[in-house]
Amino acid sequence: MKHMTRLALAAVVAGATAGASFAQELYTPNLAYRTGPFAATGIPLMNGQADYLTMLNERDGGIGGIMVNGEECETGYSTEKGVECYEKTKGQAIVTQPWSTGITLQVLPKTNVDEIPILAPGYGFSPMMDGTTFQWAFNAPAGYWDAADMIIQYLESEGSLDGKTIAFLHLDHPFGKEPLPVLEALAEEKGFELNPIPVGLKEMQNQSAQWLQIRRMRPDYVVMWGWGAMNAGAITEAVKTKFPMENFLGVWWSGHDADLALVGEEGKGYKSISWSFPNMDAPVMQDVQEYVISKGLSKTNETEMTGVFYARGLIISAIMAEGIAAAQAEFGVAEINAEQMRWGLENINMTEARIAELGLDGMVPPFSTSCADHTGHSGGWMLEWDGEKFVKASDLLTANVENYEALAAEKADEYAEANAPWPVNESCDAMN
Amino acid sequence: MLYRTAGQFKTTYEADQALFPVRQDAVLLGVILLFAWVIFPLTASEFAFQTLLIPVLIYALASLGLNILTGYAGQLSLGTGAFMGVGAYACYKMITLMPWMNPIFAILLSGFFSAGVGVMFGIPSLRIKGFYLAIATLAAQFFLVWLFEKWAWLYNYNASGAIQVPNLDIFGLYVAGPLASSTVQYYLVLGVVTLLVILCINLTRGTLGRTWKATRDMDIAAELIGINLMKSKLTAFAVSSYIVGVAGALYVFSWKGAAEPNVFDIPLSFQVLFIAIIGGLGSILGNFLGAILIVGLPVVLNLLPAAVGVPLDSALIEHLNVMIVGSLIIFFLIVEPHGLAQLWRLLREKLILWPFPY
Repeated sequence: MKHMTRLALAAVVAGATAGASFAQELYTPNLAYRTGPFAATGIPLMNGQADYLTMLNERDGGIGGIMVNGEECETGYSTEKGVECYEKTKGQAIVTQPWSTGITLQVLPKTNVDEIPILAPGYGFSPMMDGTTFQWAFNAPAGYWDAADMIIQYLESEGSLDGKTIAFLHLDHPFGKEPLPVLEALAEEKGFELNPIPVGLKEMQNQSAQWLQIRRMRPDYVVMWGWGAMNAGAITEAVKTKFPMENFLGVWWSGHDADLALVGEEGKGYKSISWSFPNMDAPVMQDVQEYVISKGLSKTNETEMTGVFYARGLIISAIMAEGIAAAQAEFGVAEINAEQMRWGLENINMTEARIAELGLDGMVPPFSTSCADHTGHSGGWMLEWDGEKFVKASDLLTANVENYEALAAEKADEYAEANAPWPVNESCDAMN
Repeated sequence: MLYRTAGQFKTTYEADQALFPVRQDAVLLGVILLFAWVIFPLTASEFAFQTLLIPVLIYALASLGLNILTGYAGQLSLGTGAFMGVGAYACYKMITLMPWMNPIFAILLSGFFSAGVGVMFGIPSLRIKGFYLAIATLAAQFFLVWLFEKWAWLYNYNASGAIQVPNLDIFGLYVAGPLASSTVQYYLVLGVVTLLVILCINLTRGTLGRTWKATRDMDIAAELIGINLMKSKLTAFAVSSYIVGVAGALYVFSWKGAAEPNVFDIPLSFQVLFIAIIGGLGSILGNFLGAILIVGLPVVLNLLPAAVGVPLDSALIEHLNVMIVGSLIIFFLIVEPHGLAQLWRLLREKLILWPFPY
């Protein structure tokens, strides 16, 4: 029992000292996952994010003359570590990035109490696009429902979907089930048959049963909502069963270069929708090279840098930086607080001109957020694996948001009702 | 010297059979209770509440439940995580179907659902033993997690497929949900844990505990001296699952705030089993010591580099953490295979004789 008291005492002391603050910097913690089962995809994303912030600090002395501290707190994608990291960082944080769906679900209800914005670019709960209900959550530039809509649009551009079969291979998890309502509605509208095929968390690496089912079903297309080890599993299995790769498409988290590099030439034709693109000629890449890589301040390597996920990391940090810059301009202070940061994230205006100014040419589609719209619905490009790397296979696609706006509002209301008392931002309605 | 028992004479049988025949034990426990009930809540930061105090108590409670079954009655179970899930989902359904219900009552009631499920999966234990029983409970683990995923009624057809704790209040004081303060949540957890620990101490010292121990040590002999094995095993399953279920309800309602089905998957079962084994099977104190080592220590270790001013990469700290905790587990099990509780028992024996050992 002595151990217990001693340990607990030590813990209390440590807990008190850990919160020591550092003035004169913007603290934007990132609940990173460089360890654990999803590390392979986490590392390039985290490297990209960190490198962009380092680049800003080195090149411009931060944002608005104040350094940005994008400290990482390692979660290994575990929800328990997520709570730990969130509690550890929330004292000084002006924004938090929860990363996993489980952590997002835990943190989301706390946002109204703690008043710290959540930035979940391209993931999280799709109804988060309703900014009136989810005042503190942002999933710019696009949500999963946008992805589902854009994928179907792309398939339709190849010919009518009437009477066709689409197998929806997804992770059997809240993340994988997320686009189902939109896909089901589209199936009814366009007349195609949607066959959901779940992949359990334990079967991610061994999908022979699912692919046997796909072979029997002979679908025209396979749409994949996979993450982590599931992507590599599905892609190798598709190659093995000789499924035509050009009819195999995935969400943006299923477009990781390393997964495709496993099969190389054989994966040619595989597609993934994406709101980010690694344009190696963009000025920002040279700046990262000059201010970060050549100074040895990065953990990345050359292969990783050319990949989709590293570029996506850069874009995520760029979106956050835009939010900070917008808030600084509005409130006239460099050291913004969490509430001002929320205003900033609600007023991001990424026009073509602004994207060019930031040196992100061709890396992210233009979008803008507002008080009521926390997603921005940037749209995206269909990327195709050419055997060595991902290339753009389509022009910019934009989602038909009006098709599921009502659904989003309904789900958001449901959420607010289940979590009552849940404050809603009334002032938004007037503006939109 | 500090623990000298000389001069403490027992003049009645009651005094000799008391829970704490040695006065120092009672004093020590009093000090710990004082810390738990008064000093920690007054001094702890929100971080300490959410990452150390509350989870350690909840995991200790879950481990206590498993310990009743595995440590006292000798029935190996790998389904703890799923039984915690049953408690959590039962509590969620009760709260959402009957919002007027007192949350504390709902949490205590949810244990009965997991007790029922536990007894059902405990029936095979009448015929199978040891590793074979472990497989049967493993089946419960897989089946229940699958059920949590597939049976949409359980999570009220939420789009996210996860359960979320609404704001719950008792007479205007929020006790669960995002609006509840950490201190209130802590007191709720501490109150339930204290209650169930007192219950368990008394159960294990009484007739039921003795029949469990007899079943554990040799079931044929136990049967020969007239112990009803069916009753003994099924009560062990029921009591164990009840406590585990309550721990599961607290796990979601007083700590995490939201849970998806795979939270209750086998890693949780293993974690609780490790706490029970490292803490010491067949011991109540061991659950707390094990929970501190497995749940609390990694959090403290994570803070250490920053606290002493060594800037280390967060991912590196995590890797080091896994290595340190792993080697500590091996170290403790080599030093004392019967767990931390036995280590304390030996230490106490030595302290009683110190400084004049014979």
